[in-house]
Amino acid sequence: MLRVEKVSVRRGAATTLQDVSLTLAAGRTLAVVGESGAGKSTLINAILGLAQCAAGHVTWNDAPVTHCRPALVMQEPRAAFNPRQTLRRSVMEPVVAQRAPTNPDGLRMLCDGLEIELDLLDRRPSEVSIGQAQRMGILRALIAAPPLMLFDEPLSALDAVTQKHTARLIAQMQERIGFAALIVTHDLGYAAAFADDIAVLRAGRIEEFGPAQAFVTAPQTDYGRKLRDAAFALGALERVA
Amino acid sequence: MIRIAADLILRAFVVLTGVALATFALLWHAPGDPALSIAEARYGTVVSKEVLDFIRAEAGFDTGFWTAFWAWLSPLLAGDFGQSSVTGRAVWPDLMTAMSYTLPLALVSLAIGLAISVPLALIATRRPGSWMDRGAVALASVGVAIPAFWLGLLLILLFAVQLGWLPAMGADTRAHAVLPALTLALGVAASLTRIIRSGILEARTQVFLPAFRRRGIPPRNIARDHVAPHAAIPVITVLGLELAFLLEGLVVVEVIFARPGLGSFLVNAIYARDFPKVQAVVLLAAVIFVIVNLAIDLIYRSLDPRMDGRNA
Amino acid sequence: MRSVVILVVVFALLMVFGPMLAPYDPTAINIPKRLQPPGGEWLLGTDALGRDILSRLLHGARWSLGLAFVVSFLGLMVGTCVGLIAAQGGRFADWIAMRTTDTFLAFPELIAAVVIAGILGAGTGTLVFALAVTGWMRYARVARGIGLSLATKGYVVQARLAGMHPLAIARWHYLPSLLPSLTVVWTGMFARAILGISALGFLGFGVQPPLPEWGTMLLDARIHMRSTPLQMIWPGIAVVVSVLAINLAGDALRDVLAEQESP
Repeated sequence: MLRVEKVSVRRGAATTLQDVSLTLAAGRTLAVVGESGAGKSTLINAILGLAQCAAGHVTWNDAPVTHCRPALVMQEPRAAFNPRQTLRRSVMEPVVAQRAPTNPDGLRMLCDGLEIELDLLDRRPSEVSIGQAQRMGILRALIAAPPLMLFDEPLSALDAVTQKHTARLIAQMQERIGFAALIVTHDLGYAAAFADDIAVLRAGRIEEFGPAQAFVTAPQTDYGRKLRDAAFALGALERVA
Repeated sequence: MIRIAADLILRAFVVLTGVALATFALLWHAPGDPALSIAEARYGTVVSKEVLDFIRAEAGFDTGFWTAFWAWLSPLLAGDFGQSSVTGRAVWPDLMTAMSYTLPLALVSLAIGLAISVPLALIATRRPGSWMDRGAVALASVGVAIPAFWLGLLLILLFAVQLGWLPAMGADTRAHAVLPALTLALGVAASLTRIIRSGILEARTQVFLPAFRRRGIPPRNIARDHVAPHAAIPVITVLGLELAFLLEGLVVVEVIFARPGLGSFLVNAIYARDFPKVQAVVLLAAVIFVIVNLAIDLIYRSLDPRMDGRNA
Repeated sequence: MRSVVILVVVFALLMVFGPMLAPYDPTAINIPKRLQPPGGEWLLGTDALGRDILSRLLHGARWSLGLAFVVSFLGLMVGTCVGLIAAQGGRFADWIAMRTTDTFLAFPELIAAVVIAGILGAGTGTLVFALAVTGWMRYARVARGIGLSLATKGYVVQARLAGMHPLAIARWHYLPSLLPSLTVVWTGMFARAILGISALGFLGFGVQPPLPEWGTMLLDARIHMRSTPLQMIWPGIAVVVSVLAINLAGDALRDVLAEQESP
């Protein structure tokens, strides 16, 4: 169980997160939606310990969250890989760093699930497509079997077809392995389709936090309603509602 | 701005403390018994063990590094540079005399260096890649590769020994300053030419210049109002390095031309192991150097507001 | 570019094989044949003790260039470590490392080297120490600057999240990106070290006679400037040509790297 309790983050004089509280149970999916500048990336950094919390704390099963070594899938697929190294080397980095036992079957199973051909692993980041690079990013995040996965706009660098494919693969892997997923996105359609819960972040504060279905049918705040209606207008929510 | 200035001044203070500490650590680890050399300098004969112990206690050598450091630093902070351990004369007046030879030489050299390099860079950049430009670059490249002491010797060989036009040794007349100033100025000119040239070429690549030209603003005005200020920024950033280069040249040049300036003062003090003199030159030079760099830093920041604190 | 590579290779070969080409023993004193003019039996003449100048120059390459190589390499090691500590170690470590760097930069490097070598006593060991101690700061600044920009790169963040050891991150993610720029700095510092060694030699604080080092040779030659001016020319030319070659190599290298950065 991930608990984010009254977390505030300051950057210089400005406050980028204010009293943010969230929970995410093991194996479940939480989507954090909001406009750009709402503090979504700061929230991820605070959870990962990359940003100092001015107040509050983040725990996983009542221990500091960094103890469970949460993994991150980044927005820019290729930037997550050292351009000088083969993908295999980068993908195996968490295993080597955490001195976990290397398990060739585990790697093959993950590659199968993410539809990655094994020989792609011996290429460099510039030699694979963006979609392949993003699946590699997910593979790298999964390789050391973390109980908590964070996704920072995992689809926004991809084209529409690849987006659907990648979203489906993430959901399948979650079903098979059972990690908890916190997905930060500006795409309400994606959030509504795949998340159990949705949190709306606005100007560093949680505007609304509850089950996804309830949010889509009846948002509790004006801002939430505005977000939902905008998504409806774009046709992003039709397949859900 | 005030915050930045305060931060810079704090840094200057820390740096000067570091220099003082490094200087004292160096003297502390100098080979030989410092008490013995002081005693020899003071009495000129072999002295008894009691006298040595007295000197040790007086200079604080027996109290451990940090106490001795403080005992050494506190008179310096009060502006007391002590006496020469060889002649017994006060260090400060001699230092100022030496300074009176060095400062004019440095300024004149810098002025000549600028007078050579600015026109040369302007001529070179009139048509980049032309034979004039290549010639200037080649000249400057050779110039920065020539050690000041060798250039000085060559000038002596040509103008003093072979032609007999100018005096080489000493500092009695103005004519004595010509060769040393020329030696230093040529080195300064060589490195400044390279910097000013690339500064001008860089400044010309600014994206808005073609628009000005199309609008019919005379090239002369564009050069004055938009190219020159931009080209000045890299020049100002390297002024500190240029000053260091000049001071380094000064030391050897003064030794070669037997001028009684700061460089000779320092080198002779080292030869004589006259540590009070050595530390006085080192600390004075560090203070001047830090203040000049502080000023350059402030000017640079006021010219280029993009500088951010951490990337200073 | 090609001509520069050839020049550098020629220098490296001279450094390794130069002494074998020397026609005489560089320290063999031959008083009756002192201060011989160039030509004839002694290609570049003899010095005040009758030693063959050409042989001394060829042997001197090992001292002047070899020590400069050692000095600049030591500076590279120290400076890179300081720069990486500043970039990776958090704000406090950064502040300490950078103020230390400022302190060492607060003084003209060559003068600091003169003072250090002078006070600690002349000799090859103190010469190397004095020049290395005053010659690491530029590497540190460059390493820190690039290191800070790397710290926000995705793959460095990923490596940190994965729990990779800071030293391993430095080795695999920082160093490969640092090396090109550090090599450019290194060529500049190599050239400076050659000038520094000869300047200290000339002031009497460097390599001690009878070892043949170019700056020390100039010091010897200076006394006989009137009678045998050419004796003073040769070591100077050796210094200028080596420094020029290394500077040109550095310029060429920087141009190549700049092209790679912006294809």
